[in-house]
Amino acid sequence: MRTVDRVAAVGAGYSRTGRGTGLTSWQLALQAAKAALDDAGMTPQDIDGISLLWGVAGPAPAGLDTVDPMDFGYMLGIPALNWWGTAGPSYVGPAIQGVTAIRAGMCRTVLTLRIINQRLSSGQELAQSATMGPIKAPGDSSFTAPFGSVSPVFAIAGLPARRHMDLFGTTEEQFGAHVVAQRHHASMNEDALFRDPLTLDDYLAARYVTKPVRILDCDYPVDSASAVIFTAEDRARDCPKPPVWVESMSYSSVKYMTFENLDDFNDNSPFHAARELWSRTDLKPADVDCAQLYDGFTIIVFQWLEALGFCGLGESGPFVEAGHTRLGGSIPVNTDGGACNVGRRHGANFCIESIRQLRGECGPRQIADAEVAVWANAVGPFSGAMLMTKDR
Amino acid sequence: MLDLPAGLTAASVPPVPDPGPLARFFWDAVSERRLDILRCDGCGHYVHYPRPVCDRCLGESLAPSTVSGRGTLYAYTGVVQAFHPYFVDKLPYVLAVVELEEQPGLKVTTNMVDAGYDELSCGMPVEVDFREVGPGFVLPMFKPATPEEANR
Repeated sequence: MRTVDRVAAVGAGYSRTGRGTGLTSWQLALQAAKAALDDAGMTPQDIDGISLLWGVAGPAPAGLDTVDPMDFGYMLGIPALNWWGTAGPSYVGPAIQGVTAIRAGMCRTVLTLRIINQRLSSGQELAQSATMGPIKAPGDSSFTAPFGSVSPVFAIAGLPARRHMDLFGTTEEQFGAHVVAQRHHASMNEDALFRDPLTLDDYLAARYVTKPVRILDCDYPVDSASAVIFTAEDRARDCPKPPVWVESMSYSSVKYMTFENLDDFNDNSPFHAARELWSRTDLKPADVDCAQLYDGFTIIVFQWLEALGFCGLGESGPFVEAGHTRLGGSIPVNTDGGACNVGRRHGANFCIESIRQLRGECGPRQIADAEVAVWANAVGPFSGAMLMTKDR
Repeated sequence: MLDLPAGLTAASVPPVPDPGPLARFFWDAVSERRLDILRCDGCGHYVHYPRPVCDRCLGESLAPSTVSGRGTLYAYTGVVQAFHPYFVDKLPYVLAVVELEEQPGLKVTTNMVDAGYDELSCGMPVEVDFREVGPGFVLPMFKPATPEEANR
C-alpha cells in the first residue's frame, strides 16, 4: 500500500467565537470549515477525510445538535469519504488521527475540527441539581465524587499545582507571571476576547476557585469551532499559502485513566509524549521559536514547559518568572494569548497559532523568522504534541 | 449498597457511591469503618481502582484486604467554590489524595479533616478517620497522624 511521508497544514480557520453566540454546533462547525477551506484555497470536493471531536467540556446545555464526521461530510456536499473518525482528547486527537490517516495512505486531505459549545456555568449547574434527589457517583467516580472532586479544576489543576508548589517551591506569583505574560500577548491579537493588560497585583487580587488556583488560571468557556486542513506533500505544494509541515508528533496515554489516580501528578503523559516527540526528529528544544501550550489551567503550561525540555523538572516557576516565555524571551509561549484569553478552543488555537506564526501572519505579535513551532494539548492521563516547521 | 432514607435531596448528601459489582466491597467495608483494597492472591499487589486482573502478574484471583489506614498526604487543594449543592455550605473543604503505606503509588481520594489548607504539606503522615456525612453514609476521610502514629 502506498504511504505518504510528509504532511502539511494548508488551511486554518475559526467560527465566530464567544459567549451566547446563539450558534448551533452545526453552524459553528460550518463556519470554521468554510474559513479553513478558504484559507487553503480548497472546496469541499478536495476533502476526502474528516476527523473531529464534538462536545461540551463540562455540563452541557440541553438540545445541542451532534456533529458526526460522516454526517458533516455529507452536509458539506462531499459525496464520499475515504476516512473519518472521532477522537480525543480535545483537538490533538482529531489532528493526530487525521495526519496519521494521510501518512497511512488512507486519504489525501483531511479536515480536522474541534467543535465545542459553552458549558453551563457552575451557578447554572448548581441551580439545576439543587432540585434533584441525591446525585449518584457511578463506576470509578464513586472513589472521587463523594469527596467533592466534582469539577475538573480540582484534580487537573488544584491538586497538581499545590503539589508542584510543595515539591519545587513554585509560587503563586510565578503562576501569575504566566497569566500576565499571555494577556500581554493577547493584547496584540484582534481575535482575543480579553485584551486589556493585567498586572501581577490584578492576578493576586482575583478570586480563588480552589487554592492555589484562581479564576484567571482557568480557560474561558465559549461557543467555538476551529478547523485545520492537512494534506499530503504533493497537494500541499499547490495551495496558495506556504505549507506548514508536520515534523514530528506524539500521542500518549499513561496509567491510570483518572486524574486523581495518576502515578505522578506532574510527570505524566506530557513527559511521555515529549520524549516520543523528540525521538522522532533531529530537531531539539533549542531549535524551537515558539511554544503554544495548552492552558486549560496555568499549571498545565508549567508541566509542558518541563516535559518538552525548555526547563528542567520543577524549574518552570523561576523560568516563567524570569521572562523566558514572554514575546522577546528565549521561548515565547501562547503568543495568541492562550485559551484564557481567546476562549476555550480546546487545543485547536495552539495548532492554528503555530501555523500563523510559521506563515508570518501574526502582525504585532509575530516572532521574527519563526521556523519551528511546537504545540501541545491536554495533560494527565492523555495528551499529544506536534512539532511544525516552515520550508527551511 | 448504601440504603439512604427517602426524601433526601442533592443538597443533603454528597454524591452517592454507585459502584459496579467489583467495587461494592469497598463501600460495604467503609460502612463498617474499615478500609479494604482489592489485592492479588497470587503476588500480593494491591489493585485500585478495582479491576478483574492484577496489573503486575495478570492473576485473576483478587480479594479485598484490609489496610492500615495510614499513609502520607500526596496532594491537596483548598476548595472555595462549590460545583455541587451539598458543598455550598461546606466551604472551604480540602480535597486530597493520600498514598497508602502498603504500596508505593497506591492512592485514595479523600478529604483532609482536623487541619486546614494552610496547615498541610505534601508528604505529611496521615491516618484514616471515618466520618458520617448522612444517615448511614460514611466516608473514609483522613487527618494528620497522631504523634504516636507519626513516629512509628
